[in-house]
Amino acid sequence: MYKAEVRGPLILGNKDYSQITRDIIAPIDARAPIWWKVAMGISLMAAAWGMVALYMTVRYGLGTWAVNNSVAWGWEIINFVWWIGIGHAGTAFSIFLLILRQKWRTSINRAAEAMTVFAVMCAAIFPAIHMGRVWLAFYIFPYPNTRGSLWVNFNSPLFWDFIAISAYLLISASFWYFGMVPDFASIRDKAKSKVKKAVYGLLAFGWTGSSKEWLRYEGLSYILGGIAAVLVVSVHSIVSTDFASSVIPGWHTTLFPPYFVVGAIFSGFAMVMTLMIVIRKFYKLEQYVTDAHLNAIARILVFISLIMGSSYATEVFMAWYGGNEYEMFTFFHNRITGTYTFMFWAMITCNAVIPQLMWSKKVRNNITALFIISLVINVGMWYERYNIVVTSLAKDYLPSSWTLYSPTWVEIGIYIGTLGIFITGVLLFFRFIPMIAISEVKSVLKPTSITKYTKKH
Amino acid sequence: MSKPYFVSIFAEEEKLLAGIKAVKEKKVKIDEIYTPYPMHEVIEAMGQKSRFTFVAFLYGFSAAVAVLAFLYYTSVISWPINYGGKPTSAFPSFIIITLVLTIASITILSLFTFSIRAKIYPGKKYVLPDLRSTDDKFVMVFDSEKAGTGFDDLNKMLKDCGAEEVYTKEL
Repeated sequence: MYKAEVRGPLILGNKDYSQITRDIIAPIDARAPIWWKVAMGISLMAAAWGMVALYMTVRYGLGTWAVNNSVAWGWEIINFVWWIGIGHAGTAFSIFLLILRQKWRTSINRAAEAMTVFAVMCAAIFPAIHMGRVWLAFYIFPYPNTRGSLWVNFNSPLFWDFIAISAYLLISASFWYFGMVPDFASIRDKAKSKVKKAVYGLLAFGWTGSSKEWLRYEGLSYILGGIAAVLVVSVHSIVSTDFASSVIPGWHTTLFPPYFVVGAIFSGFAMVMTLMIVIRKFYKLEQYVTDAHLNAIARILVFISLIMGSSYATEVFMAWYGGNEYEMFTFFHNRITGTYTFMFWAMITCNAVIPQLMWSKKVRNNITALFIISLVINVGMWYERYNIVVTSLAKDYLPSSWTLYSPTWVEIGIYIGTLGIFITGVLLFFRFIPMIAISEVKSVLKPTSITKYTKKH
Repeated sequence: MSKPYFVSIFAEEEKLLAGIKAVKEKKVKIDEIYTPYPMHEVIEAMGQKSRFTFVAFLYGFSAAVAVLAFLYYTSVISWPINYGGKPTSAFPSFIIITLVLTIASITILSLFTFSIRAKIYPGKKYVLPDLRSTDDKFVMVFDSEKAGTGFDDLNKMLKDCGAEEVYTKEL
């Protein structure tokens, strides 16, 4: 029998199928722990601050932000790209590994998909409020309107972005939800209280686990997985063309689409690692999310970090090699040195230097170190977007138009608010949804565990 | 109207597969098999086949043609815009939006197809022969009228293969 010795066992302990169900739904049956309530309180307060900031924006307009004629895109677009990046990698993780038949995804995919849905919801807030008059957001729908047969610009990356993000939210939410249906049925059939039985029964859509259902379920998973893999690549490529199709120095480069896609996967994988460390620690799921799982994510992060470092070097090299004075100025006098130099070096340190520590097996096996590095990467990816957006806009072609930018409390408030919304969503996920895909973990129990099963063969 | 079914319970997939092999050899007709996770051997044994991927391809092809036709209509026929003398029928710039809208269409249509074909939808009334099949047991069910064998023969056959229980239930 195949024992997956290269990767080590995926599930530790002498588990049987029923034990897996019990372990994973235990947090749903138990009372909410104190730390959960405290975290929920803090994240709701953050979300409330965000709501106040959003109200100020809608009530008084974009004048409440520090954006100006030069730096027309500020924290909002930075945060949009940051969230969408985190959101992309969650599904990328789940879907790419599904298509590549990587069975170690089974303990992690559910949380990664949940993270995706909440992150994309946070991301979607930013383009909407960036319109200023958010109640007119429907203008971007392609419909024959009452002002004549005037259509939206189908050739604009900004419109592609809107459609791509909507499609991405739809597909990632569907992929996530339908993945949970068999697990909701497990909870329904184990529930003792009538309310729980009714609620999870409704969510389970009448799932029974018959061969007919599994056949179509698998078909749906692979269809959605196959097309979502294309979408993951195309959506962040489109986000990059929002920048690359302009003539702003530092943006106008063909490197942007792959650079953005890889960056998105980088930040998402880092966030997956953060989340999985929290889950295994607080819910005692170390036997499902093993050190080997974290080790595998760490190795992927190290590899992607090298690509990120190469991308940063390529940008600088092309600015020098192209000989364009504006590109030279942006990279050498406004990033490597200059007013925003901290952002540039923070980006390099967090994304290209610190992750290299994970070459060491000692670091990969140290959960605290991995947790810190995963947070550092997410901070670094935020700095990357700041670097791209603000440095290129603050000092462009005309020195008379140069303006410095620092955010107002409203802009900071919206960002804090989205962090609050994200963490609230994740905490609700911890509490009411199986954090690990029960049926998928059961399917890898025998071939990959050192349990009573493998000992027999 | 309910009628009697023979329900057999297995604790391990190898024993279920042995049971399937045994009843197939005796030409006993299986009504349905319920498992806690997808098993390709079970799907094959039930002779289940799906044209889902082909249908999804048709959805995608139709959606791509429809989107391209719509873009041509809006950009060339309904409201052509001359910017910099560029052609109004700008096929290359239609590609990305066509791709994304095609993916969105496949998603929506595939979800409906799944819901209709697998009969999975909110509020569905379902019949589950044994609740343990969504937890840790593998359940093989036979229609007593169509199985082609009696309870005693079936009971012995499946128990020999390692079935934990075999019982009759009105479903």
